[in-house]
Amino acid sequence: MEFWWQVFIHGMNMFNLLIVSYFFIGNGVYTLLMVLSLAAVWVYNRRLDYQGLDEIRESPVTPPVTIVIPAWNEEQIIVETTTSILQTDYPSLEVVVVDDGSSDATLTRLIEHFHLVKMDLIYRPHIPTKTVRGFYMNPDLPSLLVVSKDNGGKPDALNAGINVCRTPYFCTLDSDSILERDALLRLMRPVISSPVNTVASGGIVRVLNGCEVRDGRVTKVALPKSRLEQFQVVEYLRSFLFGRTGWDLLGGTLIVSGAFAVFHRETVIEAGGFAHDTVTEDMDLVVQLHHWAAKNRRCIQMSFTSDPVCWTECPATLKMLGKQRRRWQLGLCQTLLKHCEMLFNRKYGLVGNFSLPFHLYVEALGAVVEFLGYFMVPLAIILGMVPAMLYLLFVLLSLAYGGLLSIGAVLLEELTYRRYPQPRDLVKLLWFAFIENIGYRQLVLYYRFEGVVRFLAGSRHWEKVTHIGIAS
Amino acid sequence: MPFLIENATLVIFALFVLALLGNIFLIGIVFLRRHRRGKFFRRIDAMRTRYGPVVVGLLSGSIAYAQGLQELREICCPDRMFILEQLCLGKKPLPAEEPILRRLCEDLGLVKVWQQRLMGQIDQASLREALMNPQGLLRRVKLLHFLIRSKSAENLGLIRHEASWPLLVKALEDPNPDLQVVAVRALAAIQHPGSFPALVEQLHKAVVGAAPVLSVRTIKSALVNFPLQCAQELQPTLLHANPRIRFFATDIIREMVEREAEANPDFCLDSKRMNDSMAETFLTRLSRDTNPDVRARAAPVIAYLPDRRAATTLFALLEDPAWFVRLHAARSLAKPRFFSYAARISRALTDADWRVRETAVRTLRTFGPAGLDVLTEHFLLTEDRYSLEQIADEFQRAGLVPDLLARCVQNGGGRDAELLRHLAEMGKTSYMIAVVENGKGNGDLRKKFLQQFGRCPDPQIHQWVKKVAAGEPDLSVRALAQKALDGVQPAGER
Repeated sequence: MEFWWQVFIHGMNMFNLLIVSYFFIGNGVYTLLMVLSLAAVWVYNRRLDYQGLDEIRESPVTPPVTIVIPAWNEEQIIVETTTSILQTDYPSLEVVVVDDGSSDATLTRLIEHFHLVKMDLIYRPHIPTKTVRGFYMNPDLPSLLVVSKDNGGKPDALNAGINVCRTPYFCTLDSDSILERDALLRLMRPVISSPVNTVASGGIVRVLNGCEVRDGRVTKVALPKSRLEQFQVVEYLRSFLFGRTGWDLLGGTLIVSGAFAVFHRETVIEAGGFAHDTVTEDMDLVVQLHHWAAKNRRCIQMSFTSDPVCWTECPATLKMLGKQRRRWQLGLCQTLLKHCEMLFNRKYGLVGNFSLPFHLYVEALGAVVEFLGYFMVPLAIILGMVPAMLYLLFVLLSLAYGGLLSIGAVLLEELTYRRYPQPRDLVKLLWFAFIENIGYRQLVLYYRFEGVVRFLAGSRHWEKVTHIGIAS
Repeated sequence: MPFLIENATLVIFALFVLALLGNIFLIGIVFLRRHRRGKFFRRIDAMRTRYGPVVVGLLSGSIAYAQGLQELREICCPDRMFILEQLCLGKKPLPAEEPILRRLCEDLGLVKVWQQRLMGQIDQASLREALMNPQGLLRRVKLLHFLIRSKSAENLGLIRHEASWPLLVKALEDPNPDLQVVAVRALAAIQHPGSFPALVEQLHKAVVGAAPVLSVRTIKSALVNFPLQCAQELQPTLLHANPRIRFFATDIIREMVEREAEANPDFCLDSKRMNDSMAETFLTRLSRDTNPDVRARAAPVIAYLPDRRAATTLFALLEDPAWFVRLHAARSLAKPRFFSYAARISRALTDADWRVRETAVRTLRTFGPAGLDVLTEHFLLTEDRYSLEQIADEFQRAGLVPDLLARCVQNGGGRDAELLRHLAEMGKTSYMIAVVENGKGNGDLRKKFLQQFGRCPDPQIHQWVKKVAAGEPDLSVRALAQKALDGVQPAGER
């Protein structure tokens, strides 16, 4: 009995150490990212004064781009999204909408609105996909092509889009998103100006909820009404403005949001396209591209820029938020497991030695450590292994530090893009950044923990998040 | 670990206090920033309201130049430079406004300041200024001077200040990549022939340099902006030992040529536009270059040469072992002067690569009815499945099916009907049915379609005929459908 008690005590001590290391490693890296991003985004914002968008727009050298929109049961917004995308300011643009076997009127709406007719066109599957049922075009609107195929999930729909796309670059866009008119020009700028082959370029995704939309454009930016959505606004700011920017600066980009990103078509095809074995196909593709480049000794670059904006709906209910976060966590775990040979592998440079291990320890396993910590540490206090005062202070520190990181993101937004002009919105943003760690963080943590549990249970289920259709 | 507990408590408490103070500090900065920004933009807006109409009036000529200039000179505030820049360059000037804007910027002293800043002569801001506004901070911190220098280069390019080109060429050698990129763009905007060789040199560096700062695309984009006359400077580069350099030089000339051709439908590369020696280089050397990329990019230029050998050279390129050379050759032949070669171009319709077949179809389509005839002829006679698929694809994409059906109704058969029947045999019936389905009010079209194709074994047509036979309100159409159904078995059910 004594032996088992000793094992338990050791286990508890180890776990407490794990929590402390998780806290310091996680927050240490986040602080580094915040400091780097604060400087970089501020300077980048100044650099926009001489960005040369007109030159990109007018140059014959600007590469053509195809926007691929995968759609599944999006009858409410698909017409608005497509209309808005067709108005995108880009010199040579094609739009491919892939109807992934919708059971609603998604395809019919598109056919009716754009006067499309079914055509029996040639399909060359560079990447295998589910059966394509037909192509729909309007000869008077040659820049739009609608592909109808059997349901195979988002990666399959994206792969079908890549197969029919004829441009050197393609841009993935979620069907519930709205692009700012010049977002694609801005997103392509790093691709054009980089002397290294830029295979992926990501832009910022902002929360559409609460904004005013007219004719497929955001006409007024405002914070959403509900607290759940407001918390997500802060979260998105933190994640994109300093998370993605920081990783990009360090050269350790692992995530380029598939909601809005440009990829080099040939490279993606060579890397095998979007894989079906994870539920976060965008992250998986980025890691796969790193893998492919190292294996084939190719010098590639991935970039993240914070000025091309894509507005997207965030979940408005707890149920939808849960679905989204479980999927993200599940996908993260699946991707890390799939590419585990890259971990601490010198061949993969910073990605293999820093970025991936960090994501594994802090983002993936961290969900388990933090979740269990809420139960184990009080247990340790009851057993007299940790002083209650120390625990209380540690909790307060983690709350204050979490607040600091979120407020840092709001500050970054205020120093640069300042998309929320109303003073009331600014106060709200700061308030929600401050209190995000009380309640909301724990809620998200619970969903993330569930995601890990599902991963351990071998789930590969894609939980569909339905939106309320703000874009329409 | 009891020996650590007290210390740990103290450390964590200290960290907590620090984090809390950090929160308060950041919140303070956010509000301060919002306040200052608001104040700054209110001042700018007031200036814009006051002086904006003066600038507009000056540019449009509705205000006398001397009077407008005097008014703008009177602006006196700490952000004078910034405000003047905002007023003059707030929006892109129209071509007609550019000369006045240039003069205005010169007379206001902006050009001189931009030139000085571009060369790194930046007046240092005081610490107070640096803390009070971001412009001051940029002037204070040497590390950030590149932002001001790049902006100055951009401004000189925006007003196309010709006299500044030597300074911009100097800036190409600056270690800062931003400044280099902006200088390249500004030089492209100014288009002074004197700067062309410097940009060509940058192209060499970008292609063969160990760690190039500028992307090839950036330089290419700038070079293609220059008038075609400048292309003579690229002649030695066309014969460079490095095939990649030869390729980019050829491609730049191609872009220049195509840009000018787009603006002028009767464009040809006569000796005024391209000297004989360069034309000869394209015809005899680049068209036979060892690098297929060079051969491919030479084809479009050759297509504009008023030389008898041009067609022969292009047809030789149409037989090239590299598919993309054949593709570029096929695309280059899409010019009115090659109408008479339509039959010869049709050979590319059976090319081994689908991209060449597709381009050949499109080239023939640009020839109008004559090209369409060649396509139809080929479509009806060939047994090459790939070629058939490609042409059928183009007929659909180009929206030719409704016209074919309409003509078929008018003429009551003929080659159009034969072509449509061929399409139906290939199973390319979706578009046809969509046209007939959409033309519900057009009884003639439906009747003719039923007469011509009602017995076609294609499953889609069969399905449609069944539907019409069951529910068509027009009884004569329904009768025709019922008649067509008798004894027909769709291909899928056989």
